[in-house]
Amino acid sequence: MTGSAARIPAFDTDDIASIADMLVQAGLETFELSGPDGARLFIKTSQEKPQIETRCTPSLPSQETDAVDNCVPVKTPYFGVLTFTHPLRSTPFASVGSYVKAGDVVALLTLETLQIPVMASVDGEVIEITAPEGELTGFGTEIMKIRTDSDA
Amino acid sequence: MTDTHRFNRVLIANRGEIALRIQRACRQLGLETVAVYSDADKDSRHVQEADIALCIGPAAASRSYLDPDGLLLAARATGATAIHPGYGFLSENADFAEAVEDAGLTFIGPTGSSIRMMGDKITAKRTMLAAGVPCVPGSDGPLPESPDDILALAEKVGFPVIVKASGGGGGRGMRVVLRAEDLIEAVGLTSREAQQAFGNPTLYLEKFMQKPRHIEIQVLCDTHGVALWLGARDCSLQRRHQKVLEEAPPPGIDAAVIAEIGERCAEACRHIGYRGAGTFEFLYEDGVFAFIEMNTRVQVEHPVTEQITDIDIVAEQLRIAQGDRLSIRQEDILFRGHAIECRLNAEDGATFLPSPGTVTRWDLPGGPGIRIDSHVVSGYTIPPYYDSLIGKIIGYGATREEAIARLQIALAEMKVEGISTNIGLHQDLLANPTVRKGSMDIHFLEKWLEERAVP
Repeated sequence: MTGSAARIPAFDTDDIASIADMLVQAGLETFELSGPDGARLFIKTSQEKPQIETRCTPSLPSQETDAVDNCVPVKTPYFGVLTFTHPLRSTPFASVGSYVKAGDVVALLTLETLQIPVMASVDGEVIEITAPEGELTGFGTEIMKIRTDSDA
Repeated sequence: MTDTHRFNRVLIANRGEIALRIQRACRQLGLETVAVYSDADKDSRHVQEADIALCIGPAAASRSYLDPDGLLLAARATGATAIHPGYGFLSENADFAEAVEDAGLTFIGPTGSSIRMMGDKITAKRTMLAAGVPCVPGSDGPLPESPDDILALAEKVGFPVIVKASGGGGGRGMRVVLRAEDLIEAVGLTSREAQQAFGNPTLYLEKFMQKPRHIEIQVLCDTHGVALWLGARDCSLQRRHQKVLEEAPPPGIDAAVIAEIGERCAEACRHIGYRGAGTFEFLYEDGVFAFIEMNTRVQVEHPVTEQITDIDIVAEQLRIAQGDRLSIRQEDILFRGHAIECRLNAEDGATFLPSPGTVTRWDLPGGPGIRIDSHVVSGYTIPPYYDSLIGKIIGYGATREEAIARLQIALAEMKVEGISTNIGLHQDLLANPTVRKGSMDIHFLEKWLEERAVP
């Protein structure tokens, strides 16, 4: 996480750090505050490893492991238009070859104003994207494969 | 409903045979279909053949077919502007019907207020009495508070009486009382049960008809004030309040008698401004019709009426929802021949327990006068999560005897393996002398099953 502030004496670095933490928790990338005196607080967070609490709902589709190559499919917890990149960001949540942790957001399902995160259920390396981006995707669709650590 | 509600893509908020039936009617009218389905139904035939198919949730119906918010989101995401609810699930949910229309979509069925009116049994009965539809003699409203008044009312109606919960239905929340001395205790018990089961302790009371038949009238109403009755069905063969075999017309009831009650039902529809398809259910005994309830949706047994009238009820539902005027006039409706429907269930022949599983053989019968409405194909796996109806065989003939003969041949030709079915039960029923004679009462099937269970 990086943060920068310009001439806003009311905030100290601890304040900025805690605001930045909140932004990360909320999945927000940028925060901008301007004062009447021209003071401006701008925080940009890097969310390569967002510390989002894992919430595996009981109805999540089964994420069975393929015993042969330790591959776990990531399945959608609802339906919606599938995106692998946050609309305010340029890099995907998790591209092929990247390493994700259980609970990391790896994709979004969008329905009107609703955004439903798709989360990884295991730690591991993304080895394949298996669903097309930008399409209406049903509940329980496999969207990517994650290879778990072999000694995990 | 106005012309602004014309639609060309219909979301089918149901599953199984009725979803396929609705899809066929949509296709016939050039309408596109959206099949929304649960994770357990992805291999279902109507899903495979739909213009757009979208899995909306897990097998649990509460998170798929019974999820109003999910269905509305799915309609908007797929561009469907009308929703056909089928039967069961959300088809008689007034709040859902209103939510659909509030979202600017068309609900293919009556208004939420009509559904609500018929869902409350006391209101429904009062409405029918006011509209001239005959009802069972009874309290015609909630029971009075005082035990003496309740007793006086029951004496006036005449024992035996049946005490029913206003919020009940489908055979739940009711108790038969044979003697005056048992009445007050029965009222107390039923009221407490009704409070627990339906959250509403309100009761009413009716004369208990001892050997009635179940006769129902099909209606179709457009949004321009036209209300038609499409004849009657006899659905007396029931087990645990579930219909097993239905036929049209009801054997042994004079056509003029049906016409009179049919016209009263149509008039009641005009009176309440009903729209769409609906069914008035009656008990019938000694020439007297007594209204029980109105179903505000298409029914499982609608094909027998279609066979004898040559009217496509589901297609008419779609046309009515588009705002079209019914093109048929009452005097054009002719009742020809006889039709009988056997409901095919995946269930054990002896225990009636559901028999889900993979259908390894599915050989269908054919020939003149045989119609099959089913979503099952060979290799299809019947999921364990929903009801056990796997299809319907409808036999049609110029006479009842011809319809029975054709059905018997069809049932003998039908070969199903991998699951158990009730085909044998239907064969036994059609061979039974009482059934062949017609005019069975609603208790016949259960008594007959009890008797034959005794070794």
